[in-house]
Amino acid sequence: MKLLCVCGLGQGTSLILRMNVEQVLSELGIAADVEHTDVSTASSMDVDFIVTNKELADSLAGVNAKIIIVNNYFDRVEIKNALEENLK
Amino acid sequence: MEIIKWIAANVFGTPAILLGFIVFIGLLLQKKKTNQIISGTFKAVIGFLIIGAGAGVIVDSLTVFEPMWKEVFNLKSESLGKFIGQEGFNAKYGSAVTLAMTIGFLINVLLARLTKFKYIYLTGHMMFWTTTVFAGIVIHTVGDVSFWKLVIFLSIIMGLYWTLQPALTQPFMRKITGNDNIALGHTSASVALIGALAGKVLGNKENDSEKIKLPKGLEFLRDSNVITALTMGTLFLVGAIIVSLKGTPGAEELIKKAGNQNFIIYSIVQSFTFAAGIAVVLMGVRMFIGEIVPAFNGIATKLVPGAKPALDCPIVFPYAPNAVILGFLGAFAGALIWLVIIGNTVGYVFVPTMIVLFFHAATAGVFGNATGGVRGALLGGFMTATVVAWGQYIMVKFLISSTIPDTAMWAADSDMFILGPIIKILAQLFF
Repeated sequence: MKLLCVCGLGQGTSLILRMNVEQVLSELGIAADVEHTDVSTASSMDVDFIVTNKELADSLAGVNAKIIIVNNYFDRVEIKNALEENLK
Repeated sequence: MEIIKWIAANVFGTPAILLGFIVFIGLLLQKKKTNQIISGTFKAVIGFLIIGAGAGVIVDSLTVFEPMWKEVFNLKSESLGKFIGQEGFNAKYGSAVTLAMTIGFLINVLLARLTKFKYIYLTGHMMFWTTTVFAGIVIHTVGDVSFWKLVIFLSIIMGLYWTLQPALTQPFMRKITGNDNIALGHTSASVALIGALAGKVLGNKENDSEKIKLPKGLEFLRDSNVITALTMGTLFLVGAIIVSLKGTPGAEELIKKAGNQNFIIYSIVQSFTFAAGIAVVLMGVRMFIGEIVPAFNGIATKLVPGAKPALDCPIVFPYAPNAVILGFLGAFAGALIWLVIIGNTVGYVFVPTMIVLFFHAATAGVFGNATGGVRGALLGGFMTATVVAWGQYIMVKFLISSTIPDTAMWAADSDMFILGPIIKILAQLFF
């Protein structure tokens, strides 16, 4: 299973999101590859899930991956709820 | 002795290998699985080497942009002169930069542990560029210096900067985010503070930017590749049309560069090439920062109780999305005004790279809105363009011209411009 964390520049914010997603996944006991990138690159990558916010999700419409929306990248509770809802 | 010499030359003297080594240790400390350690280490090495390739692409398109706008402003075309350039600089000083970034971070952790400033700087790509640009200033100022002297000088400066910068912006961050859990760790701190002050003096707090409705069509501004290509494309297009109509010998010379291709089409392709070069460099940076920062974070959370992460500037964007757009609009207008004014006065062609302008201006916009509403947000953006335009001129012409002016044109930004002269003075004192 591959997850991609996405922000506008693909450098800092998406990396923080990736670290939080990785931590939540390990708490949930789910093994997955998590990477981070910018929104342009994300639309051409072959992954199972894309984790991003609502604004960027609009420009990713049409990709094959399922999009998981997280609005606060630093709120582990929101990330956990969003992942649980979509991965089960 | 021979072994130490061999290690010094081949590990510490080869930046890509040194970086791979640091990442390898970081992944070991995090107790990652063998396959993750191997892929992470390899990605770090490859990532570092990719930066040089992307830097070459950026420079190629800038060597079209610069003479083109010089012709538009009727300036004498003098080239930047001899300089090392990012690729050569990485090869020669990349090890010192990499090591200074690592030791500087450890100083940051130590200071957070011992003082009341509990901030841990985690915006890895800006850590890399700031250390690189400061190294460029030191080498330009004092010439070749010994490896360890450079490392120690940069480590201390970076450690102090990464600890104190988040502390300076935190009073406003508390106001914006409504809590004290996260801090701003980004080189846009100076323009954010200027934006907040300008908003306080000249703005109107009651007129909050979040009360107005902005068109939905501006959402594409969140994509860094698109804004870069769009703005550089516009500038290349305007420049190409003016040059095509001029008919001067200089203009004829430039048009010849396009060969059989139409000059305007050629120029537009150059603007996309510029954006492509930046995308390549950022991919390289992402590949090794993505491996180092989690290790940094692991070290910090273990050693510093109550550590507050200082994070990339988009963390403030969700608190005032309209101010983000207003900040950008203020900066865009400012960039165009300064392009013309600086071109016609001191004769420097300002390269308004939107990655730098957008993210910084957006942050300054959010800070400006917090103290001065809509007017504060617009002013924050305009002040960002002002600092970046004049800062780029001073940096490229006087602080870094023999080392990495190419990098300063697109990757150096607000805090680096404000601190640049101080670094130069300190370098003169200590070397």
